[in-house]
Amino acid sequence: MIRPEEIKMSAEETGKWGMVIDQDICTGCQACVAACAMENNISFVGEVDAGYGRSMHWIRIERFWEGAYPEVKMTPNQPMLCQQCGHATCEPVCPAFATVHSQAEQLNLQVYNRCVGTRYCANNCPYQVRAFNWRDYQRPEPLSNQLNPDVTVRRMGVMEKCTFCIQRIHKAQDKAKSEGREVVDGEFTTACAQACPANAIVFGRVDDPESLVSQVARAHGHGVKHLEELGTLPNVTYFKGG
Amino acid sequence: MSDKKQHAAQSHEEHLREKHLMLDPLPRGKMNDMVMESMLEKPTWKFWVIFGFLAFVVVYFLFYKWGVLIAKGQGEAGVMRPDYWGIFLVNTVFWIGISHAGTFISAILRVFRAEFRRPFTRAAELMTTFGLVQAGFSIFMHMGRVWLAYWLMPYPNQRLLWPNLHSPLTWDLLAITTYLLSSTMYLFLPLIPDVAMARDRSTGWRKNLYKVLSLGFRGTEGEWTHLRNAMNIFAWAIIPVMFSVHTIVSWDFAAATRPGWSSTIFGPYFIVGALHSGMGAAAVVLAVIRSTMKNMKYFVRGEHFDAIGKLMLIISMSWAYFFFNDYMVQWYGGDKWTQQLLHFHEAGPMGWMWFAMLICNVAIPWAILWNPKWRATPWAITIVGLVINVGMWFERYIIIPISVTINRMPFTWRLYEPGIEVPMGIGTVALFILLYMAASKLIPLIPVWEVQEGQMAHELKKFGRETVVSVSELE
Amino acid sequence: MSNKFSRRDFLKLAGVGAATTAILTGCGPASRYVKREPYMLMPEYTYNGQSTYYATTCRECAAGCGLIVRTSQGRAIKTEGNANNPLNLGKTCARGQATLQGLYNPDRVTDPAKAGASITWDAATQAVVDALKNHKPDEIAFLMGTTSDHLFDLVTDLAAATGINAPVRFGALSMFESRATLSTAAENLFGQRGLPFFDVGGAQVVFSFGANFLETWLSPVSYTRGFAGLREAQTKMRGTFVQFESRMSATGGKADEWMPIRPGTEAMVVLAIGKLVAEKRGGTMPHAFIEVDPANVAAKSGIKLETLEQLAEKFASSAGALAIPGGAALGQSNGLTVAEAVLALNALVDNFGKPGGVYFSALAPNQTEYQRAASVQEMQGFIQKMAEGKFKVLFIHGVNPVFELPASLGFKEALSGVGQVISFATFPDETAQEADYVLPDHHSLESWGYQRVVTGSAQPVLSGSQPVVSPFYNTRATADVLIAAAQLAGGKFAQALPFTDEVEFLQSKVAPLMNSADGFFSAADINTFMAYFQQYGGWWKTLDGRAVPVAANLLNHSLSGAEAEFAGEGEFFFVPFVSPTLAEAGANKPWLQELPDPTTTVMWNTWVEINPETAHELGLEDDDVVKIISEAGELEVPVYRYPAIRPDTIAMPFGQGHTAYSRYADNRGVNPADLLGQYFNEAGDLAFAGMKVKIEKTGKKQPLSRMESIMGVYGVGLGEEH
Repeated sequence: MIRPEEIKMSAEETGKWGMVIDQDICTGCQACVAACAMENNISFVGEVDAGYGRSMHWIRIERFWEGAYPEVKMTPNQPMLCQQCGHATCEPVCPAFATVHSQAEQLNLQVYNRCVGTRYCANNCPYQVRAFNWRDYQRPEPLSNQLNPDVTVRRMGVMEKCTFCIQRIHKAQDKAKSEGREVVDGEFTTACAQACPANAIVFGRVDDPESLVSQVARAHGHGVKHLEELGTLPNVTYFKGG
Repeated sequence: MSDKKQHAAQSHEEHLREKHLMLDPLPRGKMNDMVMESMLEKPTWKFWVIFGFLAFVVVYFLFYKWGVLIAKGQGEAGVMRPDYWGIFLVNTVFWIGISHAGTFISAILRVFRAEFRRPFTRAAELMTTFGLVQAGFSIFMHMGRVWLAYWLMPYPNQRLLWPNLHSPLTWDLLAITTYLLSSTMYLFLPLIPDVAMARDRSTGWRKNLYKVLSLGFRGTEGEWTHLRNAMNIFAWAIIPVMFSVHTIVSWDFAAATRPGWSSTIFGPYFIVGALHSGMGAAAVVLAVIRSTMKNMKYFVRGEHFDAIGKLMLIISMSWAYFFFNDYMVQWYGGDKWTQQLLHFHEAGPMGWMWFAMLICNVAIPWAILWNPKWRATPWAITIVGLVINVGMWFERYIIIPISVTINRMPFTWRLYEPGIEVPMGIGTVALFILLYMAASKLIPLIPVWEVQEGQMAHELKKFGRETVVSVSELE
Repeated sequence: MSNKFSRRDFLKLAGVGAATTAILTGCGPASRYVKREPYMLMPEYTYNGQSTYYATTCRECAAGCGLIVRTSQGRAIKTEGNANNPLNLGKTCARGQATLQGLYNPDRVTDPAKAGASITWDAATQAVVDALKNHKPDEIAFLMGTTSDHLFDLVTDLAAATGINAPVRFGALSMFESRATLSTAAENLFGQRGLPFFDVGGAQVVFSFGANFLETWLSPVSYTRGFAGLREAQTKMRGTFVQFESRMSATGGKADEWMPIRPGTEAMVVLAIGKLVAEKRGGTMPHAFIEVDPANVAAKSGIKLETLEQLAEKFASSAGALAIPGGAALGQSNGLTVAEAVLALNALVDNFGKPGGVYFSALAPNQTEYQRAASVQEMQGFIQKMAEGKFKVLFIHGVNPVFELPASLGFKEALSGVGQVISFATFPDETAQEADYVLPDHHSLESWGYQRVVTGSAQPVLSGSQPVVSPFYNTRATADVLIAAAQLAGGKFAQALPFTDEVEFLQSKVAPLMNSADGFFSAADINTFMAYFQQYGGWWKTLDGRAVPVAANLLNHSLSGAEAEFAGEGEFFFVPFVSPTLAEAGANKPWLQELPDPTTTVMWNTWVEINPETAHELGLEDDDVVKIISEAGELEVPVYRYPAIRPDTIAMPFGQGHTAYSRYADNRGVNPADLLGQYFNEAGDLAFAGMKVKIEKTGKKQPLSRMESIMGVYGVGLGEEH
């Protein structure tokens, strides 16, 4: 019998992954949304369910309006995704430990095969970025050929959310390890950041002051973390600009 | 003159006897026969029609639709972002609330020796158990992968995976399970003497059934002592369990990070709310038993409705207090999302429900229950009881799907439109009634020994010309 | 050591080996296709569990962005931008990301068919042979899309050698981009043909007159990068962006100031700003701006005079001012004047050939002069010929004119005047349905080819395509079909296309670049060159190939500040715009359907945007279905109360309304092109924004699927306002 104290989390790779999003240059083009869906085997749900708040997007672009015609303005596009909170509200409420904090990546993990579908995490997420598999959404053949083998295909009754493309993190770490080196900043990035034509999304190690993401954060200075007042310690920083 | 006075005194005494069951004793054998008769009465065709209809509703709306839900997923229900929780949880809280009054009436009143409780403790305890069955069903309906529900149980396993004890849902599960087990035991203990009585008066399969259920109870002094001790222990012990259960149910909400939910007053507010709906339901059950079963007009009288009515009134006032308190604290907090939510409650598209809740839970009970005459009228109490239950269901609906419409991400706000939850919820109601109907034919719904015990203790004594009720201490 | 060499160690070592192989595989000069799972004989460059990456070119629009496609076990699983390609530098738009959903679309054409019945490729090729041999050359016509430049070159060569009609190209995007107008304006003012390139990234102040350059316009990925450069505050001041348009586009939504000018007044607004700028800069007033009266313009356009003056001040005082024409401003009766006026405004601030200014787009490497797709007026002539029976055979590739052209042009009806219609459609689209033969081409990811980058990159770029997966169905490359048919037809046909297959043709086309000194790579032999070409996803020069317009005479060009003319009786200006997520051919991809529109967040449908005030006056709520009536037709479509549109204007996205384009597109939404009449601007481009329409209530409701919350964003349904 293994005793709990003998179980060790992998402490070899530590890192605090984070993201900065420049809303001033985000054009709302949805390339990140599409890239995310393609990378992470996200189901499409069809017109009716999509219109009823059941779309499975892991990232959505929010925009509001200011003023009234003719002085009307669109607020800066705000890509909203899992903030990978350091102190996440979704984690403690799951009765099954299906959403947990990873020590290794400082990320918020969703363990699909442990999820029983109470949906408490989604309810308790102040950012409302969790997507639930309300049905077994179909991918008629041969659409399933597109499925990314590195990402679990989720079925009905399971919660899911942005993972910061953890499969890419692991792939890069494995590769670096096999080459006996550290992961180099910019060696890989998330699907959304990779696609973004405006480079509005920058991803990397926020605990490394020399990483691009840290440099961008320093250059902008006045970043905003959403709903920080709740004590969630989000890992995504926004720049409103303008 | 003296004749007249004597007549008046006599009629006063008669009046007292007529009014109070405890002062209107019948011979033991007769009373036992009455209860047996009401239980063994051959069901009428009406009974079977209703029974058959409810059975159909249960099979189709509850079980068939549940099968559909499991096969096709939660998308069949009205849940979505941001209303991840819907009517299934409304029903869960509602049924737990209903189950509360059973134990409350039985245990608290037993502990405090409220004599009016005696004829209806059994009916109330059944309400606890049957209500919890519905609550359990409702929470399992809610789960996305209900076939894995056992993962929430702390069972030893190879992977050393335990439920998360940080989660209010885990507390909830443990609390409800404890409550279900203890309330079932608590239902069973006082049932033993009555089942023994039934065993001695029945034949065939019933006799065998009661033989098993009565555990060989013969009514010896020793057996009674043990039974009384056990009942006492359970009556005392189940009270904190009952309080904890609904407090913990409230923590599912209060411990969450959501506007409108993070409220420290939710614990007592939920308990009072549960009692509110539970008392209402108890009154309805009692009225139904009285009007549909034989000999029940003897056991269930105006005085019982009067007493329940008083309780309902007090509970309604407490509920109003807690509601107001909760509202004020949330409003005073000044959080912009909470402000938005409170405004949405009243003025949003479901504002009618908010006002209906206040009318059902406060205005109507207060308007009717202050009057002793109306209080003692079974049909009036039945209506008030039903109205309160509608109001309390609305309250839970407002707390769950309507409140989660408003969150800190206005881009996601969306109004909940129920789907398969509605027939399935109706299915739970049908099952609840069905279980009662079955119970009425299988076990004595009136705890005869408890009534007899009370009657033995009560006496009308004459001090001079005054007729005075005296109660002797038992035990 | 050896006894401790575990399976895990072995896998690690295997991983090292795999990881150090080249990331980009050219898949070998000799190999034509990669194999799909299951592997009986594993190609030596693939490993189980390891991905192989191929460089190719996106054909979702004509821009020609480079893609890197990740494949695993012979399946394409993800597209990314090709970081080497100077056009998109590793980036893609949403449509590029979703291109796999076209490849794996369940409703593709799987076999060659005649009148709906499957035939063999031999029979299909024979049909092409017969079509070529049995008709006079001028009875044979090719209608082609704006992608697959290599195929266009092949047909052009065939046409030149055999005398058949030169291929005509068309695409709805080029129609909505008014490419003919842009190049005609350049020709008129600079005396040189070409597509202007606007260096948004280097500018400080950008005035855009309707140009939707962050959506689908010309080269959206490149222009978006430019926009990010405009806003980049690290190295310079954050640039200002002002958009002039009657309906706020996704591009306009990013503007610092949005100017809702009255449709038709764009030319005079540009001229008025020009006049005010010229006044502020002093010197003689250029001829172009003399006649315009800013006060009058202010009254007509709906912009206050002082606002015009402030804008002019901003434009005049900036070191890097740039004006861009585009979108609905060009799709009006005076669109050419607008384009010329905007170029004149740029000339006024003398930004030609300077960073943040106007250039001529670099010509692609194997191109000698600017080519553009047909304008709609030219298409009208083509359709006329079709209807008159001048064409006995019509080959259609890469375009869906029945859907993309306004129905009023009568393309569908004219098809019956053509003896034989042979379609090479990959998808069973509306045009393919009308065809006699459907000889399905591969999907672009199964295809060879190249695409010339027409604009967006400073360097001349030829983006190369190669198959990243082996063909899924019984499809055949159209180039192979034509080459085979030409060989079978013999004679001048065989001489025109003396190749064994498409790859040989391709090699013949890129071979001249092999020894270019200024190339990104060069090679001594064609096989090596082709290997590099495939590995890097094309070939490009290392130097800036943009030409500088000569602005000598430009300001003396006389320009009319008259209002545009509008056709039709209705009270609303009608502005159709291209859906930024679907564009012309995205509707068959379910994930593109499920992407929220950037401005309205609507998914899976078509809507009409109406100002909330107007809607209130008409008694219209969200989701009320209205009938839009123009001279040319009528449509029923649900209302979206859009806060950023002029009260006298309504707008509809183009991209939906298919009747045959896979299960995800069919019978979904409506096609606003059905409302457009045959009105053109001076350059022959369709005056798509030159109609006035009427609105009628229908009493029906059709809920639109929105990503946004109507409650949260518009406060509708929250109760009375706070």
